[in-house]
Amino acid sequence: MEFFFDLLSVLVLLSSFVLVSNKKITAYIKTFQIQSALIALIAGIMGWSIAVNEDKYDILIICVIIIALKVIFIPHLLYKTYGNIEYRVEKDFFMNIPIIVLICCGLVVFSYFSVSNIGSLTGFHINHQVVNSLSVVLIGFFFMISRKKAIGQIIGYLVIENGIFVTAMFSTNGMPFIVDIGIFIDMITAVMIMGIMVTRINKKFESINIDKLSKLKG
Amino acid sequence: MGLVLWIAPIIAVMLSRVVNNIKSLHIISICTSFIMLLAAGITTKSVMLYETLTYKIFGDAFFIDAVSIIVLDIVIIIGFLVSIYSVGYLNEKLRHNLIKYKKIKFYYSMMYIFMFSMVLALTVNNIGIMWVAIEATTLATAFLVGFNNDENALEAAWKYVIICSVGIAMALVGIIFLHLASINVVSNENALQWNLLYDNAKDLNGSVLRLSFIFILIGFGTKAGLAPMHTWLPDAHSQAPSPISALLSGALLNSAMYATIRILAIVNKNLNDSAFTGRLMIAFGILSIAAAAVFIMTQKDYKRLLAYSSIEHMGIITLAFGIFTPLSIFAGFLHMINHSFTKTMLFLASGNILQKYNTRRISKVRGLLKMLPISGAAFLIGLLAISGTPPFSIFVSEINMFLSIFSAKYYVLGGVFILLLAFIFVGIVITLFKVFFGEPAIDSNIRRGETNKPGAAVLIVLLIIISVTGLYMPKLLKNLITSAQMIIIGG
Repeated sequence: MEFFFDLLSVLVLLSSFVLVSNKKITAYIKTFQIQSALIALIAGIMGWSIAVNEDKYDILIICVIIIALKVIFIPHLLYKTYGNIEYRVEKDFFMNIPIIVLICCGLVVFSYFSVSNIGSLTGFHINHQVVNSLSVVLIGFFFMISRKKAIGQIIGYLVIENGIFVTAMFSTNGMPFIVDIGIFIDMITAVMIMGIMVTRINKKFESINIDKLSKLKG
Repeated sequence: MGLVLWIAPIIAVMLSRVVNNIKSLHIISICTSFIMLLAAGITTKSVMLYETLTYKIFGDAFFIDAVSIIVLDIVIIIGFLVSIYSVGYLNEKLRHNLIKYKKIKFYYSMMYIFMFSMVLALTVNNIGIMWVAIEATTLATAFLVGFNNDENALEAAWKYVIICSVGIAMALVGIIFLHLASINVVSNENALQWNLLYDNAKDLNGSVLRLSFIFILIGFGTKAGLAPMHTWLPDAHSQAPSPISALLSGALLNSAMYATIRILAIVNKNLNDSAFTGRLMIAFGILSIAAAAVFIMTQKDYKRLLAYSSIEHMGIITLAFGIFTPLSIFAGFLHMINHSFTKTMLFLASGNILQKYNTRRISKVRGLLKMLPISGAAFLIGLLAISGTPPFSIFVSEINMFLSIFSAKYYVLGGVFILLLAFIFVGIVITLFKVFFGEPAIDSNIRRGETNKPGAAVLIVLLIIISVTGLYMPKLLKNLITSAQMIIIGG
């Protein structure tokens, strides 16, 4: 079982590296979809073993919700938002991709060292699953600041949420059920609101580059 | 009775979806906020009697004690005043054809979703739900910040949603670590219940708890507008419609601060010492005051000036809880109350000014006292009060702050604090005295006199509140703050 989790947590981390090295918005959405599918798999395996051992179905339900929301609904919503926006080829990132990937490697090392300082997380060996999932959170943050387009920022936010969800899974077997449901409701509303705003921004500014949003200062 | 606090705003949202004329929308809004006010009064009374208020049917979900009742009362009183003000404000906008009827419907339903999520955050025991509710406040106000739907409002709303959602995601990481720290102490069914965490604080895992506190302070600090995560605040507070700015500044910032304080109490009880949390909070507090001082000195937009002043006061409250002596905690709670009322009054007055002059620039507003006698006077007095002039209430809590800082032997910190407050005083007074004197431009076709009559009444009520509490503190309030102080300090 531990072997599967190790493997999956590395795959989730890898998918976030794939995300930062993507160039097109459609590719971001696709990568996010794959990452969510991996996370659903983690929740599925964990939920299954808990359901068999303790007769509790919380995490299996969560797994179904993830598949419905993050794998199907949100990517669909993002494609639709993207479809509403006029297609325009523009450079989307502030730095070169190789530099971005190198910085992300640095972030993984950083989270390794921060986690290794905490006694109870380490025990005898450092909990690599938590290291990987915290790195996903950090990479999500970095992804947000490295992209110019508003949709890129939405994806960054979703990747952060994914990272947080996996961290919760690996460190404490998930949050209490009701809290998880609340988080999902918040997330779905947030993405819908951001989607509507992207459409409005596109109408008003004739672009979704967020460096155009620089009037309010001081 | 506490349940009314949850149900009333939901009913208001539903009714305002159904109802089809403006007058009944206003009536629904005022009735709801009045009912909430009554319910809050009764709840306060039972908290005074029994210390904590819970309901059996919800298990431990519903939980009110002295700390929550202070913030809850602030939120509900301000919500009530804002709902009265909104009637005049929206009618005035409607008269100038700035908004359509549909927008008013939208405004009220969003405002009550916002009220509901704030009340929920303040009345739940589970820290996870508290997080969900605080994130929901961001989402409910996103479109209210972008209410004017022009380029600036849209920019402010986008920044607000992105920075706050991401910032508060940090707090969620912190809450996961809090859960991890308690994993063998609190059973899984009761995970993240505040009262259990607090009772068993000594058994939690200290090193994980420390990590968790850092994340939580950054996360909720973003929402409370602490520097350097404050960048969304001046934009959102200046672009939102003024009644909403008042709610954001007077009520929402406190709710975010409340969540931090709750967790601070657990961490300090666990570490048996406030050195670790104190250092972090003092640093963020003094940085916020300094950042606000710089921007207030050079500000050209009066609503942004008020927003920066909110950052300053949140800094002061953070500083108070960082020092963590009984006196400083008392001063912190008192300052929370005083700042909320004073800032609400200022934002509401600035809303009348904005509607009259149709500009946010300080240099374009002249002869305010002649144009708007009541709002102008409230604005003038409010500015003096907010910068700490006696005999208003902010002065009292700031004096308490000075006393607590120096009696805790932070001499350098106290000196810096006083200096920064002096800078802010000069910044506010110099920039704004220009506004009050001088003749209003003659060619302008703006009529003199107040147009928002209910708004003017609200301003007078607020003016009375801040002047009276500056001179005399009701015994009830003192008892409440003292018991809140006992909870936080772990006595």
